[in-house]
Amino acid sequence: MFKAIVSAETLSSALDSVSVLVDECKIHLEEEGLAIRAVDPANVGMVDLSLDAAAFESYEADGGLIGVDLSRLEDIAGMAESGQLIQLELDEETRKLQIQIDGLEYTLALIDPDSIRQEPDIPDLDLPAEVVLEGKDVNRSVKAADMVSDHIALGVDDAEEYFYVDAEGDTDDVHLELTEADLISLQVGPAHSLFSLDYLKDMNKAIPSDTEVTLELGEEFPIKMHFGFAEGQGQVTYMLAPRIQSD
Amino acid sequence: MGNAALRDIAVIEEVPFDDLAGATVAVDAHNWLYRYLTTTVKWTASETYTTPDGTEVANLVGIVQGLPKFFEHDVTPVMVFDGGPSDLKSDEIESRREQRETYEEQLEVAREEGDEVAIAQLESRTQRLTPTIQETSRELLELLDVPVVEAPAEGEAQAAHIARRGDADYVGSEDYDALLFGAPLTLRQLTSKGNPECMDLEATLEKHDLTLEQLIDAAILIGTDFNEGVPGIGPKTAISAITEHGDLWSVLEARGEHVEYADRVRDLFRNPNVTDDYEFETTLDPDLSAARSYVVDEWGVAADEVARGFERIEESVTQTGLDRWT
Repeated sequence: MFKAIVSAETLSSALDSVSVLVDECKIHLEEEGLAIRAVDPANVGMVDLSLDAAAFESYEADGGLIGVDLSRLEDIAGMAESGQLIQLELDEETRKLQIQIDGLEYTLALIDPDSIRQEPDIPDLDLPAEVVLEGKDVNRSVKAADMVSDHIALGVDDAEEYFYVDAEGDTDDVHLELTEADLISLQVGPAHSLFSLDYLKDMNKAIPSDTEVTLELGEEFPIKMHFGFAEGQGQVTYMLAPRIQSD
Repeated sequence: MGNAALRDIAVIEEVPFDDLAGATVAVDAHNWLYRYLTTTVKWTASETYTTPDGTEVANLVGIVQGLPKFFEHDVTPVMVFDGGPSDLKSDEIESRREQRETYEEQLEVAREEGDEVAIAQLESRTQRLTPTIQETSRELLELLDVPVVEAPAEGEAQAAHIARRGDADYVGSEDYDALLFGAPLTLRQLTSKGNPECMDLEATLEKHDLTLEQLIDAAILIGTDFNEGVPGIGPKTAISAITEHGDLWSVLEARGEHVEYADRVRDLFRNPNVTDDYEFETTLDPDLSAARSYVVDEWGVAADEVARGFERIEESVTQTGLDRWT
């Protein structure tokens, strides 16, 4: 059983943050809210998302599992105007999702969850550095780095106590240092890892610029990025595997 | 090469490439390279794969285009090269050589007439593993840190042997004969578009209720690389005949037929000339700048032709996967 009413913005934000990594995903319809966990086919980027029941206008579910084609569902959610509500109801008989937007009815065929790539195990990471900053700082770092290179170094200088971003291109370089005063908070620890901008750019798209983002970093370790959406009633954690430092 | 009629007998299933992550595949190198030689030559202009003095090195382009798929899917290829041909196969090689000479004569004529289509078709058929191709393939693979094993005879038999000993998870070959050499699991279409297919020996034997020895006998009736089959015997008839009479000799006796060198062909599949004397590492650490310079500077292959392939390899060896932390 699944029946819910949700604002178009909330639904779109949730779907967009998953669709940057995968085309199809499984959605767990838990009593306390929706949960999605997915990894991209190359096993490099992972998303772990939860959207609490409180984020919905109304929400009823009892622990089912559905498989969806994300671009389909995003297109439908995109039919709603800003501020409109979307009603979702699972037809258990036909295994289809009934979607209603202001009288418009859309019946969406679901995908057999067994045919979707298995949900990943969450890596067990003990990351020494934690940086909390505004979404817009993540955005400008990624944007500037992308102008010069296809990868970016993120690290924390634990002696001088600042978080830094480095990108080295063939001719041009980008560098940014943010001290504790520039950040929302900083927990120093040894951290320096290189990441593919292809992935970070996509993940960055899903990060609202006015949100707080928590980065957890280590030495040649995956990065964890947490942020909230839907007024904090939705949570996303991205994990991204590092590139090996060559030189 | 190999008998495609075996396809009707074999149990074959498509496997998603993602499921192969971490696997080691013993690849029949000549079989793998040959396809790249024919396709590279067919679709690209000859300047891209010949050196300024006219030496063909399409193999280098083929290797750089074909290998990324292994790297990207975290599959380790072990390239198994043919040693000297088995006595029996030399007849076939001889006839292929004659065939090629005919093609080469036709190619001359096509060139004179300026028939582009005929030239492209014939050029692909006249491809062969020249000494230069043999040597440069090994050197490039070495720079890319891809393991190479030298088979005493058939590369395919050696690849099957490596897989049987558990040193590789799969054999990689387009050739259905891999089954007869006892390869437990054979991947076909490994570096084509889409997913490869897996040929399962045990499932095949189970399906037809045959032993490997009986499967070999059935194949000899149909025809292999080493012998002509019995006229009128296809896969179905061969299986039912072997099931009914038990083995090759009884079938031949019952039908009053004869297969030239049948005992030697049988022995070749049952006791192929293979060696335990091989060693390889499955953690690859390619030297990409040396490999690039070898292909482009030393052998004069157009840089554009191999740029993407090298980039794909580079990307896959520098980017780690999250599974490393789970």
